[in-house]
Amino acid sequence: MENAIEVKNIKKSFKIYFDKGSQLKERLLFHKRNRYEVREVLRGISFEVKKGEALGLIGHNGCGKSTTLKLLTKIMYADSGEIIMHGRVSSLIELGAGFHPDMSGRENIYTNASIFGLKKKEIDSRLDDIINFSELNDFIDNPVRTYSSGMYMRLAFSVAINVNADILLIDEILAVGDTNFQTKCFNRLRELKSNGVTIIIVTHDSGTIEKFCDRAIWLNDGLIVKEGRSDKVIDAYMNFMNQKKIDRNPETEILQTEEKNSEKETDADEKNKSDDDIIDYSANRFGLKYIEITKAEMLDNSGKDKRIFRTGESLTIKINYHINKPLDEYVFGFGFYNLNGDCLYGNNTQIDRLKIDNINTDGTISVDIEKLPLLSGQYILNVAVVDSDGTPMDFYRNYCGFEVVSDERNMGYFSIRHNWRL
Amino acid sequence: MKTLKEIFDYRQMIFSLVRKDLRGRYKGSFLGFMWTFINPLLQLIVYTVVFSLILKTDTERYYLYLFVALIPWIFFSSSLTGGASSVVAQKDLIKKIYFPRQVIPISYVTSCFVNMLLSFIVVFAVVIFSGNGINPLALLCLPVIMFAEYILALGTALIASSVTVYFRDLEHILGIISMALMYMTPIMYDKAIVPENLLPIFNLNPMTHIIECYRAVLYYRTVPELSGLLSSFVLGSVFLVAGHFLFIRLQRHFAEEL
Repeated sequence: MENAIEVKNIKKSFKIYFDKGSQLKERLLFHKRNRYEVREVLRGISFEVKKGEALGLIGHNGCGKSTTLKLLTKIMYADSGEIIMHGRVSSLIELGAGFHPDMSGRENIYTNASIFGLKKKEIDSRLDDIINFSELNDFIDNPVRTYSSGMYMRLAFSVAINVNADILLIDEILAVGDTNFQTKCFNRLRELKSNGVTIIIVTHDSGTIEKFCDRAIWLNDGLIVKEGRSDKVIDAYMNFMNQKKIDRNPETEILQTEEKNSEKETDADEKNKSDDDIIDYSANRFGLKYIEITKAEMLDNSGKDKRIFRTGESLTIKINYHINKPLDEYVFGFGFYNLNGDCLYGNNTQIDRLKIDNINTDGTISVDIEKLPLLSGQYILNVAVVDSDGTPMDFYRNYCGFEVVSDERNMGYFSIRHNWRL
Repeated sequence: MKTLKEIFDYRQMIFSLVRKDLRGRYKGSFLGFMWTFINPLLQLIVYTVVFSLILKTDTERYYLYLFVALIPWIFFSSSLTGGASSVVAQKDLIKKIYFPRQVIPISYVTSCFVNMLLSFIVVFAVVIFSGNGINPLALLCLPVIMFAEYILALGTALIASSVTVYFRDLEHILGIISMALMYMTPIMYDKAIVPENLLPIFNLNPMTHIIECYRAVLYYRTVPELSGLLSSFVLGSVFLVAGHFLFIRLQRHFAEEL
C-alpha cells in the first residue's frame, strides 16, 4: 500500500530563554541576559504511515509528540530532515478556531471551515452535514455566545471532522462533549478511516490509542522507543511509566505522611492525657495506649520501606510497638482502605487464631503478603493493636497512604485469577 | 509561486476574516455599522471648524482639499500600525492551526481597504454637495490609484507584521513613524511649499505620489500625471515584493516566537 506520510530523520530544537527580552531596550542593555539553552525536542525521528492507517503517538509530557504533530501540520518547521505528506491535511488541534461569539452558529461554520482552507462552495455543500452532526439544528442561527460549552465544542468538532481531509491529525481533543457525542465522534472517525483517511492521534491516554489505532509509536526524549502494534507498544509504555513512578524517590512522600501523623498524634495524646480512660473514636488515632504502635513500615522484598508497590509484588507490613502496661493478650491488625474510606480488606491476629501474650516491652510484629493483589490506585493503610475484647489500645486510622501501580488493566480493587472458556 | 496559489486557495478565509472584522468592529454599539459613515463625517466637521474659523487658509474649500487626502491616508496608516500587530494579535490561531500566514495581514489590509471604500461614499457626497464638481474621465483613474495604494499598504503591512513578531517595539515605533510620515506627506499642505532641498525625500515617499493623485482627481478634477501614477506603482510593487519574500522567510519561526 502507498504511504500517506513519510517522515525522514526530523530534528527540532527550541531556544529556551532564561529571561527573554523581545524589546529593543532589553536587547541592547541586557545583552548578557539573553542567555538561552538549546533544548532538543526531537532528535531524529523517522516513520511512515500508510494510507488509511490510524497511528497513535504516545509518550509522557515533553516527549516531543505534540511537536511532531505541529511539524506535520506545518505550524512549525523542522531544523533538518524531511516530511512528505500526500493529500490534503486537516488538523484537529484547536477546535473552534476563529469563532466569533456574536455571530450565529451558521456564520461561524463558514469562518471556522474557511480557516481549514475550505472554499465557499465546499462549505455550502457540507453545511447540512455539519449542522446535522452537531445536533444543533434549532440553535444554529443563534449567536454562539448563547451556547453552552458542550454545544460550542459540538459545533467546533462537527466542522473539523467534516473537512474531508486525506490526512487527519488529532491532538488530545477527543475528551470533549458528553459520552454520547464522543461515541459519535469515534464512529465518524472509524467511518473516515474505512474510507481511506489516514489518521494520526496524539494523546497520553492509552485507552484511546488502543481502541482506535492499528499501530502506535512511543516517543521518549525526542526519540522513538518502540513502534508496532498498538497493544504491544502500550504495554511497554505502561510498564515504563510504572517503573518510573516507583523509581522516583518515594522517601519524601513517607516523611510527609509521617509528619502529618505526628501532628495528629499530639492531638490525640493531649486528649488521652487529660482523661485516661475515655476513648475518642472519631480521632485519627485513638486507644488506651497500654501498648503503642511506634512505627509501621511497608517493606518490599529487599527490605526497603516504600509507599509505592506493583500489583503482585511481595509486601511486608512491619509494626513496631512499645508496651506501657502489660496485657493478657495482644491483638494486632491491619487494613487496606480506599480513599472513600471503604474497607477493602482487614484482618488481625485474633481472626487468624494467633494468640500473642508474653512479648518483650519493645518489639516488632510482621505480616507477609506474598503477592499484593491490589490493583492500581491510591490506598490507605490502617494498623491497630487491641486487647482480646477488642478494646482499642492504639488504633491508627490512615497510618499512611500508598500507591499501587499495575500493568494489568483490570477494573476494581483486586486482582482475581481467572480463565475464560468457550 | 506555490505560496501564491495556496494563498489564493485560502481566499474564503480572507473573505471570512474581513467580514468578521467589519461586522465585529462596531458590534454592540448603538449605531452599529453606521459608524463607518459617521466617523469620517465627524472628522470632516472638526477639520472644517478648525480650518475655516481658527486656522484660516487661502485654499479654496480647504476642508475638501484636506478630506480627499485624509481618507486615503487613514487607510494607509491604519494598515501600517494595525497591520504590524495583526500577526501577533492572532497568535492563538497561528500556534494551533496551519494556514498560509500571509492571510492575516492580507485580511487586515483588505478590511481597512473596504473601510476606505465605504468612507468614499461620504467623500463623494461631500464632493457633490460642496459644488466642486466631478470630472468623469479623471474619476476613471481612481480605481487605479486605489489599487496602487493597496499594494503599497499590503507590502508595508507584510514587512511590519512579520518583523513585529521578533521585535515587539516596532508596533510602538510605528505609531510615531506614522505620525511623522503624515506631516512628511503633502496632506495638509501642497507640495509646492516644500523647500527645494527637501524635495527628494518627499519624492521618495511613496505616499506623496498617491495622495497627489487622489487630490488631482477629486479636488482639481484633472487626470493625474502619468509619472506620479507610475512611480507610486513602482514603489508599491517594490514594497510588495520585498514584503512577500521577507514574510516567507520570517514566518517559519512564528509559532515558536509567539
